[in-house]
Formats: sequence, structure tokens, C-alpha cells
Amino acid sequence: MKIDKNKCVGCGNCHAWCTMGVIYVDSDGKSTVNEEECVECSNCYRSLRQGTENPTVVRSLRRILKLFHLTYEPPLDLCPTGAFAPPKLEWPRILRAQFSDPLVVHPSTGVGGRGTEEIKTNDVTNRLKVGDVGFVVELGRPGLGARFRDVQKVSMALAGQGVTFEPNNPVTALMVDTQTGELRPDVLNEKVLSCIIELKAPIEATPRILETLRRVAGEIETVMSVGIGSRCGPDGSLAYEPLVEQAGFRLSLNGKTNLGMGRMVP
Amino acid sequence: MTNTLHRRGSLEDLKKDYIIFCTSPKGQSKEGRARRLKEYARIVLSHKPVMFGSSAQGMQSWAAGPDEFINRITDDQSGMSATFTDLETLYEVIEDLRKADLGFCVVVSGLLDEVAECCHQQGFERHSAEHSLGIMGRTDRLPSSQILEINTLCGHGMVSFNLIKKVIDQVKLGKLTPKQGAALLAKPCACAAFNTRRAEELLERARLMS
Repeated sequence: MKIDKNKCVGCGNCHAWCTMGVIYVDSDGKSTVNEEECVECSNCYRSLRQGTENPTVVRSLRRILKLFHLTYEPPLDLCPTGAFAPPKLEWPRILRAQFSDPLVVHPSTGVGGRGTEEIKTNDVTNRLKVGDVGFVVELGRPGLGARFRDVQKVSMALAGQGVTFEPNNPVTALMVDTQTGELRPDVLNEKVLSCIIELKAPIEATPRILETLRRVAGEIETVMSVGIGSRCGPDGSLAYEPLVEQAGFRLSLNGKTNLGMGRMVP
Repeated sequence: MTNTLHRRGSLEDLKKDYIIFCTSPKGQSKEGRARRLKEYARIVLSHKPVMFGSSAQGMQSWAAGPDEFINRITDDQSGMSATFTDLETLYEVIEDLRKADLGFCVVVSGLLDEVAECCHQQGFERHSAEHSLGIMGRTDRLPSSQILEINTLCGHGMVSFNLIKKVIDQVKLGKLTPKQGAALLAKPCACAAFNTRRAEELLERARLMS
């Protein structure tokens, strides 16, 4: 994201909306985006109302108020002068928007958001079959963001456990080899708000996958939110539950339930 | 799509937080989808969710109200979400959707045992389910659980830590009411999974603690 310095009045209203906390007031008194750390989520541009005030008038007003020890405080969700200027993004930087902006559809999967339907359509796709366990490892979430070089550390560690990466997933689409989990070298320095490594394996592999995640978690500079899922038994049970508990992990009280109402409508 | 899997909070708080999604799977024909999705939306919205929407309609798609939201549905929209604050209403929504049999994949995000029991009582078993195993890695870089609880109310993590801190401060100073604060925090959430009622309660708690 870019900020038009001719329009910015340095009120700082946009700083709090930045998902990465990387907008700051520069030495010229105007807000600036640290582009190296920006994930191109466009949250600042979309969530703030883009005002049409004259920058010169607003700057003068701020100076006058300052003389009386008062501050200029526009509403929290307003950029008074509409100073944001979304740039046209090129490869590989465009990946930042594809993974971070929920309104952008991933070209590799045709799905918006984080780019995967995961368990949400399992009743139709049968992505996770009886006997499979599925893992969704979302790097960067919550709130820290992730570089693909950290994503690769995790994907390569998991690949060593003989897992199958989900083909309809935008992280898998960046792999040069799904047997090793290696990603394209030109994307490794790109940073995204979060992205999901998605895989499946026979349910017996659950303990060793969990152990791998525990180990590789100590090697990354960010966080990862981990989910586990499967198809339910005829009585609604989940075969992975005892395996997870035996491995010393705690299952959440809440989660996602696919009700099984889906079908292919002609 | 969205990832509400990692919502946090006490059992009592999670009892007031159920999101129901419908998704038309990729590869399904778009023809006639708008008609079916409008029917789905009418059913869900008749139960008065605290939040509803779809990123296909852009930001704050709930703001125009239920009727306009339904009017704007086209064949290109592949789903929607709605957030409810009690299990009883969720039960009724599921019952109505099963009767309508619209063919969409329907997923509920919320307390797993309660939702499983809800299915069982209606004579069917859940198809698939997913748990969160929590956060791993550099958890030392994360803010307090109070901030995380609000941050995870947005399925895509669009509500920044700094915005949450700022809104909490403004509420404590009396510059915003908890309700106004919750409405501001909901703005970045494109998928409408943000539970404004829960956010309001969390902000009220923060105010009382100050």
C-alpha cells in the first residue's frame, strides 16, 4: 500500500487499522507504509472512509489547534483527505494481496479468503475420506504475518512424514515438489497476513505429525494456528481424538462441523 | 472463505457464538444458484442473526439490511455466513435448512459437542468435524488473551491488535460506548463472522476493569 504524501496530513488515524502495525509517521510528519513489512491486505484503504477534505486546510487547522494545545481528532474510521493510493502489484509481490486480502480470489484455486474450501465442502468433495486425518496449519495467524521462508520450513518438515498436500490449496500451488514441500525460491521473502498448509495422511500418522509440528514450531519466527479434522464415524465420532490427547495436545471445545447437507446440484 | 476455527474464550462465552456458513462447492453449476441462495438467506435471516454477510458483496454487506442483501445475491455469489448467539436459535435454523434441502454445504462453527447433539436430536449425525489445537511457535510475540479473543472473532484476522487496543482505550475513556466500539471493530471483517454482541460484552468487561 502507498500513501500519497501530497494528501496525507499526518493525523495518524490509519496506523491502528494496519493489520501488521507498519504504518508510521516519517521525519516529514506524514504517514508512511513500511513496504517491506506490509502484506497488501488493503485493510487501511477499505476500512477507513476516504474523505475529501483539502489537505492544506486540514494542515492549517491542525497548526491552529496546536497553538491552543488542542489536537485534531477526526472520527476513528476516517482518512480525512483520502490519502491512500493502492499500487498495481506485480509478481511475486502480488502474492501478498492474494493471501492477505479476503476480497481477492486466489487464481490457483478460484477461492477467495485463504484460498481453500478445506472441510467446508467435504460432504461433496470427499477431500477427507474415512480413515484420513486432515491438518490445516495456518502460519502467521493470529496477527503476526508470515514469510514464505518460514512456511517452507514447516511444509518441508511435514513432507518428511509422508503426508499428501491438498492439491486445491494455494500454498501447495507454490510448491516446486510436493514430495519435499519445497516452495518456489522467488516467493520465499514474500510476507502474507496468513496462509494455510493443508494436508492429509492416514489417521495412524497423527502422533508423528503432531510431534513434527511441535519440533518445527521452535524453528520459525512467527506463530501458527493448527487445526485437525476428519470425516466422522456413523455415530458422529472422531477417530483422531484419543490420538491427539495421547500426544499431549488439548482439543478445543469449539470447532467446525460439516452438517452433511451438501450435494452436487445439476 | 474463512477460518473461525481458532476463536477463543471461556465455555460461557463460546455458548453465545455460533456461525453458520453455506458454501457452493467449486465445480458446481452457477445456474439457478442465486435463486437457491436467496431462499437460504431468507431462512437464515428470518432467525435474526447478530451479523450476516458475504465477501462477494464487498465490505459491510450487512449494512444495507437483510432485504437489500438478498436482492444483491447473484449467481456469482457462492455462499454467505450468519452469526447467532444461542444454540436454540441455531437448532431452529438447521431444522428449517434441512426441510428446504437446498443442496449447499452447511458448516457450523461453535461448540462441537453442542452442535453434534443438535444434529443427533434432529435424527442425523455430523458428516465431518474439525478441532483447533491452538497456537504454536513464537507465542511470546502475541498480545494478551483479551486482545486475541477479539482478534479471532474475525475469520481472516483483519481486526488488528492495535485497533483493538485503541478501541479498548477509547471505551475506557468514555469516548466510545462498547456498542460503538464493537461496530468499529466489525468494519474490517469481510466475511461477517465477527460476533458484534460478543465484542460488545468483551469491551464492557474491559471498561468495568478500568
